[in-house]
Amino acid sequence: MNLYLKLLSGSLRSRMQYKMNFLVSSLSYGLIMAVDFVLLAAILQRFDDVKGWNLYEVGLLYGISSVAITLYRVFCVEVHNFERYMIEGEFDSLLIRPVSPLSLLLTKNLDLSRIGGTIQGILILVISIIGLKLNNVELFLLLIYLPVTIFSGVLICFSLGLITATIAFWTQRIKDFQTFTLYAPFNAANYPMNIYPGWLKIIFFTVIPVGFMNYTPVLFLLNKGGDTWNLALPPLVSIIFLFIALRFWKFGIRHYHSTGS
Amino acid sequence: MVYWILLQKSFMRNMQYKVAHLINNAASAIFGFVFIAIWIGVLQGKENESPYSALDMTYYIAAVQCILWLSGFLTAGLNIQNGVRNGAISLELARPTNFFLYVTSQEAGRLLYNLFFRSLPIGLVFFFTVGFYIPQHIPTYFFLCISILFAMIISINLHYLVGVSACWTTEINWAHFVNFTLLVGLGGQLVPIDLLPAPLSSITPYLPFAGAIYYPVMIFLEKASSDVILIQLVWVMVLTSFNLWITEKARHKLEIQGG
Repeated sequence: MNLYLKLLSGSLRSRMQYKMNFLVSSLSYGLIMAVDFVLLAAILQRFDDVKGWNLYEVGLLYGISSVAITLYRVFCVEVHNFERYMIEGEFDSLLIRPVSPLSLLLTKNLDLSRIGGTIQGILILVISIIGLKLNNVELFLLLIYLPVTIFSGVLICFSLGLITATIAFWTQRIKDFQTFTLYAPFNAANYPMNIYPGWLKIIFFTVIPVGFMNYTPVLFLLNKGGDTWNLALPPLVSIIFLFIALRFWKFGIRHYHSTGS
Repeated sequence: MVYWILLQKSFMRNMQYKVAHLINNAASAIFGFVFIAIWIGVLQGKENESPYSALDMTYYIAAVQCILWLSGFLTAGLNIQNGVRNGAISLELARPTNFFLYVTSQEAGRLLYNLFFRSLPIGLVFFFTVGFYIPQHIPTYFFLCISILFAMIISINLHYLVGVSACWTTEINWAHFVNFTLLVGLGGQLVPIDLLPAPLSSITPYLPFAGAIYYPVMIFLEKASSDVILIQLVWVMVLTSFNLWITEKARHKLEIQGG
């Protein structure tokens, strides 16, 4: 843990050498995500709700999903950009270190420019929670549970990111896969799952289980259905999915062939 | 002609990544299904309050997902920033070709590739699943071709502008983010711009972003008169003239820096 913190602080210091670039990148990244939500707000301002979910209820889903994926992008930047290690042959250098390649990838770098998206997600969460006008008990339960659902979301996102990165052992390039395994599902998770056709719902509750991250618990927390199991499922599913992702990563490493001379 | 050869080479280069692009097309279609689901959910029982029916919005989103590959998802800064960072731009500007056409013709080749291997397959996916509008009048096809061509030129120009700004700023990530956000946000990617709240709904029709996405889609759906092509034409001329001028300024700046 000490080593991890030292590596992280080193990465942070190097990034802060370019403060202006960091600020402008963070702001502009936050702006992109904010515009997305403003457009959704424009729709819901005119049409009130989407299949029974008002703006603040959707905002809760949107905020959780945004914070989860941006935290993944901040802390797991090297896993996300893993294809570079395959294309440029840098993965060999990770294999000869006395620390596991995954630990090295997780501590090597931070993408702080994505933090603007996290802040924007938190802002949407705050606005939505205020707008929901929950009673004290509901509010207490929601605030207590929020870190759990966000952490579960980060784990699901990391697992999806790691599975996609592992594919690079065979395909080298993974950017196009990421659109399929990360961007599209997390975009879908911004909205309630009940709006999607059956086949999409099956995908989002099985092979790409983003539905468990926010929809399942929020359904119960906002009294829209389900029971206390809805609160247990996100951490449970995320841990199982993480286990599968780690096994697949190890399988990938075992089958890795370097492009040596 | 050298620019036509550059366009062809760029087309052929992209052909190397057909399989990866097909996977990406599936993701693009899923984005489309998500947006369509949002609109169907929003309009359920409220179609009389909207100028668009659920079917209209299905067609709209399906067409937008296809058009985006021609005028939305362009190379960030048309890669001009890389040349600025590694110094290669000095050589590129010294070539006996027009730098603006040299860069834009390569991107045009990529967009032509996108038409055949991105837009058409995505359109087919929508055609066989949720439905895809087929224009009913022959002149629509003629106006659609012009409108899409202008949309591509507008978008290439906007991306060129972002790229060439690297001659002054070096870093263009933020400019690309802002440009892309405005393009999809004010271009009508998720919300047709006439549904945006005032005053945005009255300003956006005259901005270049509408010319890049909204107008070609509305012409395709036969919901806009061909007059909107004039707005696109104005932006094509303004942006192209401005970029030719700014390229000369960039060349001048480079000479000073190098001297």
